[in-house]
Amino acid sequence: MTRIDPKFGMRLKRYGAFDYDACYNCGTCTSVCSLARKGEEFPREMVRYSVTGNQEEILSSLKPWLCYYCGECSTNCPRSANPGELMMSLRRWLTAQYDWTGISGLLFTSLKATIAALIAVAAGVILFAVFMNFDTEAILKYGHYFEMAAISGVFAVILLPNLIRMWYFTIIKPGFKVPIKSYIVALKELFIHMFTQKRALGCDDNQKRWFEHFILVIGYLTLLFTTVFLDWFGTSSLPVIIGGYIVSAIVFIVTTDFVAGRIKKSREISRHSRPSDWLFVIWLLLMGLTAFIVRVAIDTDILKDSFWIYMIHLTVLAQWALIIVPFGKWTHFLYRSFAIYFSKLTSK
Amino acid sequence: MDKKLGVYICACGGNISDYVDIEKVKEAIKDEDCVLLARTTMFACGDSNQKDMEADIKENNLSGIVVASCSPKLHLTTFRSVSERAGLNKYNYVHANIREQASWAHSDNKQGATEKAIHLVKAAIAKARFAKSLEPTRIKSQKSVAVIGAGVAGIKASIALSNMGDTVYLIEREGEIGGKLASLGKIFPGNVKGGDMVERLNAEVKNDEKITLLTNTKIKECSGNIGDFKIKLQETKSGESSPDSEKEINVGSILVATGFESYNPNVGEYGYKEIDNVITLPEFRELLKNGKEGKNLIFKNRKVSDIAFIYCVGSRQVKGENKYCSRYCCSAAMQSSLDIKEQFSDIQVYHFTKGVRTYGAQELKYAEASRSGDIFIQFPDKEEPVVYSEKGQTLVKVKDILSSKKEVEAAVDLVVLVTGMVPDSDKSVGSLLKLPRGRDNFFNEIHMKLRPVETVIDGITIAGTCQGPKGVMESVNSALSAAVKTHSFVSKGELELSPIVAYTDANTCEWCGACSEACPYNAISKNDIGGKTVAVINKTTCKGCGMCLPVCESDSIELTSFTNKEIESMIEILAN
Repeated sequence: MTRIDPKFGMRLKRYGAFDYDACYNCGTCTSVCSLARKGEEFPREMVRYSVTGNQEEILSSLKPWLCYYCGECSTNCPRSANPGELMMSLRRWLTAQYDWTGISGLLFTSLKATIAALIAVAAGVILFAVFMNFDTEAILKYGHYFEMAAISGVFAVILLPNLIRMWYFTIIKPGFKVPIKSYIVALKELFIHMFTQKRALGCDDNQKRWFEHFILVIGYLTLLFTTVFLDWFGTSSLPVIIGGYIVSAIVFIVTTDFVAGRIKKSREISRHSRPSDWLFVIWLLLMGLTAFIVRVAIDTDILKDSFWIYMIHLTVLAQWALIIVPFGKWTHFLYRSFAIYFSKLTSK
Repeated sequence: MDKKLGVYICACGGNISDYVDIEKVKEAIKDEDCVLLARTTMFACGDSNQKDMEADIKENNLSGIVVASCSPKLHLTTFRSVSERAGLNKYNYVHANIREQASWAHSDNKQGATEKAIHLVKAAIAKARFAKSLEPTRIKSQKSVAVIGAGVAGIKASIALSNMGDTVYLIEREGEIGGKLASLGKIFPGNVKGGDMVERLNAEVKNDEKITLLTNTKIKECSGNIGDFKIKLQETKSGESSPDSEKEINVGSILVATGFESYNPNVGEYGYKEIDNVITLPEFRELLKNGKEGKNLIFKNRKVSDIAFIYCVGSRQVKGENKYCSRYCCSAAMQSSLDIKEQFSDIQVYHFTKGVRTYGAQELKYAEASRSGDIFIQFPDKEEPVVYSEKGQTLVKVKDILSSKKEVEAAVDLVVLVTGMVPDSDKSVGSLLKLPRGRDNFFNEIHMKLRPVETVIDGITIAGTCQGPKGVMESVNSALSAAVKTHSFVSKGELELSPIVAYTDANTCEWCGACSEACPYNAISKNDIGGKTVAVINKTTCKGCGMCLPVCESDSIELTSFTNKEIESMIEILAN
């Protein structure tokens, strides 16, 4: 049995939810949701759990991850309780709960802490450059090492333990008995959703956004692969160089559109941007853009004279890899696909 | 026979004529004895036909009318009025129902329906041959009224009656007027406090010369009938009664507004009287008045920071007797919650409801409470919350319908049982006046919508919560409505009663008392006429229901306009 916790709402509001206590449970959100299946009170039940402060149910639920925020529920809500944004807030809250370090929660709820972290990382990068005597060659080399170390380190120390915690909260603790075979069979789902976001296509009028998102994911992953494993900044292979240009351009062009959407607040999803959302899209944009410029500088042979270009890229990269990927919005890439994977395991 | 009858057969726009061949009916009856004219019509109740009928009556000097159409419940009065307008005594009108009793009932058998309709019309014609002109009984009516109960309904009714020019006796058993109104907080929609409203009404009543206020007064006896009730009153001051304190008043009508009582929970109902911080809503209203210390609400020396309201206590019971909704309690609980917020900012309120019924604009109170951060949990009808005490903490355990009946609990410092309304436990007024009660034990009106303030006892109306749960505004509305009805009984100083009543034949009656027992209106009494004991029927109280007729062994009772002769002639035709 759960104790009703009216204060939970106050805590949740720090993650962005607002006014959901206007909800009078009419269920309009569920009836207009194109992802809600028969017999499912999706997303109304999550609103209910939030109102009554039923943290146990929310923590063990995968439902927040199964919402792709088309915003139909918020548009149609007769009380302007904004269930769509509540689901978004619950994803932020869950991200904070999964994170064993507690840093995610701090960054999601405090803009000051976020800015401090960004400055600290930037200072670290500058210190490192000073330490290297601004030796371009060496910094480029260590920059490349850093990328590889950051990816594996963040994954091993933060992301993997957090995924295990998510698995524990949503499968083990609620008492689901899942045979090993099911884990293997369902792996297909995991990868399909990780790379295609297939479920998001189920949302009404979502084709354009889905396509953009799909291109972005592929572009981002390819950029990651090109820079880390194909050493884009060091290579002399023409196909790799051209490929790198294309994917980095894709990343900053698509994210520019995303940023513009958030500025114009054109869709329900872009209406209530939190610092964590801005940070995510802007840094992704900067990543693509600065990488592109760095390679342009290499190809035009001005990098040695304008070393600051690479320094900016490295700073953005470090902030991205050390803050946004482990503790920020980047994790939704993992949690969403794993949520679908896990819900496949627990569904009868 | 010298009767000249006009017979009209209605098509009811097809409702009748689709199954009953009305032309054939007309052919079958047009040559019946006494029938001067027979017509069919598309809508007998239509204006044009009514005018045609009036003209027919006048031109042909008709002395009786039969309309074969729908149920007399619908249009008996319509066609009686047509007769009256044409200068024909309305009791010469006879109604035949060939819609509900023929076309609708036998839509599968057109021929049979037509035959039945012919029989019904012929029977009506037979009755019409015997119909007589009748005059209503006229009785004198006292131009004064008694209002029993000086709660908000009684007071408002008294003021309204006085404004209409009636002499009012306002009778109250307590020493003060205002009833439960004084204990209420802000009242929707004006947000006036109950106490303030009582003060205002009190001044109004005391300054009104036409209202005689009788406080500390009980009703001892009541006799008589509409227009002429005699009520014996007794003053109960200081608990003693002496012959001096008795008084008799004579009134034309009685308006009953005896109010309600708050439901008193049983010991152990939601922990009431077992767990010391479980109280009822009226008790909580008292606490709100007296329990403020600094910025805190203090109950039994402890600070209150979480309060649970449990709704529908004593109302909408699944197991208990009270199936009804008490109407005011949801709004009262919302108001209480808002009052809490106004005085104590850090108290968390939980509402455990069976579904909130803050109907109409009271929904605004619900919205306000909801906005202020109150938690609402609706529990299933049959799985009520459990209040229990554990480690010195009071807990309310409940299943939340809105999260697939998952069990949740709240730890609170105070449990407020939102108690509903039950009828006043003093049943003396009801039994003295012989007022019928409904299944909910409140007084019953004749018809909820059509005659909402009248009782089956002529001349007695009911108002306010003695009739059923109501909010203040609804009580006042019903009081004003009852006042108008009561005024209509006394305003002319004279009353017209229906002449269709039963009467006995003193020659054949051998008093046995069976008729008196069968009479639901106490209209039959034992009388000595010329040294013979016979039953005599009071024309003013008899309603002509006919219950006494079949029980009379010597067949000494007749009912005006339904005499044996009339009924037998109808049966003869129907049986042919």
